[in-house]
Amino acid sequence: MTQISAPASINLIGKRNTSAHVVSRAMYATCIVFAVIILAILAIVTGYLLFIGISNFIWHDGGWGQIFTHWHGSLSFFYREPISDRKDALFPGGMANGVLGTIVLIGLASIVGIPLGMLCGVYLAEYDQKSFLTAPVRFVADVVAGVPSIVVGILFYELLVLPFHRNSAWAGAAALAFIMIPIIARTTEEMLRLVPNSYREASMGLGGTKAGTIMRVVIPAALGSIVTGVMLAVARIAGETAPLLFTVVGNNSITWNLNDRFPALTVQVYNYTNRNTPEEKLLAWGGILVLISLIFVLNLAIRYATRQRGGGAH
Amino acid sequence: MTQTTPSAPQSSPPASPGFESPRQRLIHGDSIMHGLSLLGGLVILVMLAGLLFVLITAAVPSMKKFGWSFLTGRVWQPNEIEVAVHTPDGKVVKDADGEIVTQTIPAKFGALPVIFGTIVSSAIALVLAVPLSFGAAMFLVRIAPRRLVAPVSFLIEFLAAIPSIAYGIWGMFVLTPFLMNYVERGPLQKWAHTPLVSWLYFDSHGTRYYCTGSDMLCGGLVLAIMIIPIITAISRDILRAVPRAQVEGTIALGATWWQSATEMFKFSRSGLFGAVMLGLARAAGETMAVTMVIGNTPRIALSLFSQAQTMASLLASKFVEAEDLERSALLEVGLILLIMSLVFNVVARWLVVGKDSRSAAAH
Repeated sequence: MTQISAPASINLIGKRNTSAHVVSRAMYATCIVFAVIILAILAIVTGYLLFIGISNFIWHDGGWGQIFTHWHGSLSFFYREPISDRKDALFPGGMANGVLGTIVLIGLASIVGIPLGMLCGVYLAEYDQKSFLTAPVRFVADVVAGVPSIVVGILFYELLVLPFHRNSAWAGAAALAFIMIPIIARTTEEMLRLVPNSYREASMGLGGTKAGTIMRVVIPAALGSIVTGVMLAVARIAGETAPLLFTVVGNNSITWNLNDRFPALTVQVYNYTNRNTPEEKLLAWGGILVLISLIFVLNLAIRYATRQRGGGAH
Repeated sequence: MTQTTPSAPQSSPPASPGFESPRQRLIHGDSIMHGLSLLGGLVILVMLAGLLFVLITAAVPSMKKFGWSFLTGRVWQPNEIEVAVHTPDGKVVKDADGEIVTQTIPAKFGALPVIFGTIVSSAIALVLAVPLSFGAAMFLVRIAPRRLVAPVSFLIEFLAAIPSIAYGIWGMFVLTPFLMNYVERGPLQKWAHTPLVSWLYFDSHGTRYYCTGSDMLCGGLVLAIMIIPIITAISRDILRAVPRAQVEGTIALGATWWQSATEMFKFSRSGLFGAVMLGLARAAGETMAVTMVIGNTPRIALSLFSQAQTMASLLASKFVEAEDLERSALLEVGLILLIMSLVFNVVARWLVVGKDSRSAAAH
């Protein structure tokens, strides 16, 4: 059989070179061209990000060749603080503080965000289906997920920075948790809905309670995809800059003090784009590379996880 | 499902103190779980309410002082300044001792330039991104060979997840110099004084713009690149949900490829509009990328080569140092931004979700 939607099907009806057919062929070509343009633009953008980012790791004062003699220098990004002094033999330093800060912030945000988000998802999927609360909660979760992140930043500046007169990791982590909760809630809900009802009926038929059914049957059945949703949320907050600009502000050295200015990779990248030396700008590109590699890996994992589920369900 | 739970808690025998049967403990666990998840649901509502409450209370001083004129004011002047008084014919007024007479202009804030910047940069982004995205979505749904669809879709979803600061750094170090050297100070410059092009280069007073590449054009382009993956991904899903019979019917009636494609667009128009709205919400609220490329000068100008500022980039660049009234004014800008994005999101969800349920019913 010929493909029914292909332009070849025009010939089945009878070859006519009316203007409609010419327009159709032109638009067909246009769609292809648009797709190619989009892919080209996006390839250029990611190409630059990858190429310059990678050169941060293997390009040093001595040029490309140093990767073989001073290979450890290429990983200094992960274990050195930034050094702005050119005379330092170990220039250009790294962004260990930013990497560490982002990990700590994600961890703090996850402690609050993951349980609350999952509870909300459980509420939407399992409880009170006819309650007047469910629809508003679902709608508000969608809407809150779309709030500009800078607005979340100023909210937590007002709530947690201004009253205490100091920047803190807590304020930044709270802002990230705020962004995380609706994303996790909605993905958890959707994943729980994919669990067949027969699982719940079987559990309850055996005398299980509702809570027991949810905790021991429904959530384990959907755990893989819920973890996927959590990773999606982590990927999102790992790249957030705007909510951290006023709350954690950034710190140029490694610190464990959560009650003071705190480093974060994205904030540091933003600050370093305004620096003068090319080495410092390269560090910023390196930070971006680390971020998008993380997001790429998480996306791959998500795709793998959802394909497994899709294959099993159908 | 609750009906399937065997016995209601009330009918179980009263618990003797100090002893709970395993069965009762489970039922207690049940209500605890219910309570906890209800708490999770309420947290979401509290989050939105808290957001609105904090922003509104903090913006009250600015609202009281400026009222509606905040939306139409063009000046963002955080400090009082002293200026010399001029006579109508332009001379400086001096008092009896020969001292220059000055008057104090109080701090004043108006949001019109940043509202203008947000609207225009988002509009540029939409104009560029929407046709490209719809075309690419149609390509993915109806033209692309099957083995191409999965990798391209993955790439587009990955690009939608890239943080805005990555687009910002690319715009700042790659696009900005490119625009400056090859567009604004490039061949086009030769025609700077011709009527067709001069509006790009000169403002109404005839002053030439800096043309450094950090301007409205660059901001719009970067925003377009950022929202293309989002609009493409959503509209692909929406076009894919068009019932196959709808397409085959048009083909069977003798429609050309494009005529059936238009039919698909028409069928899913509300969903596609929702996709555009989501792109618009993202563009309007975008902060980092825009802050890095738009020039950050609040200005209302027709030209694409004029520096500009959006609401989000105003917040990003001014909020740290702001005090008292300026902070209140900035929070009012944040409130306007929030309300704007709420409206876009509500409309978008309504359209996309409505579309979903309708196409689900059609199957």
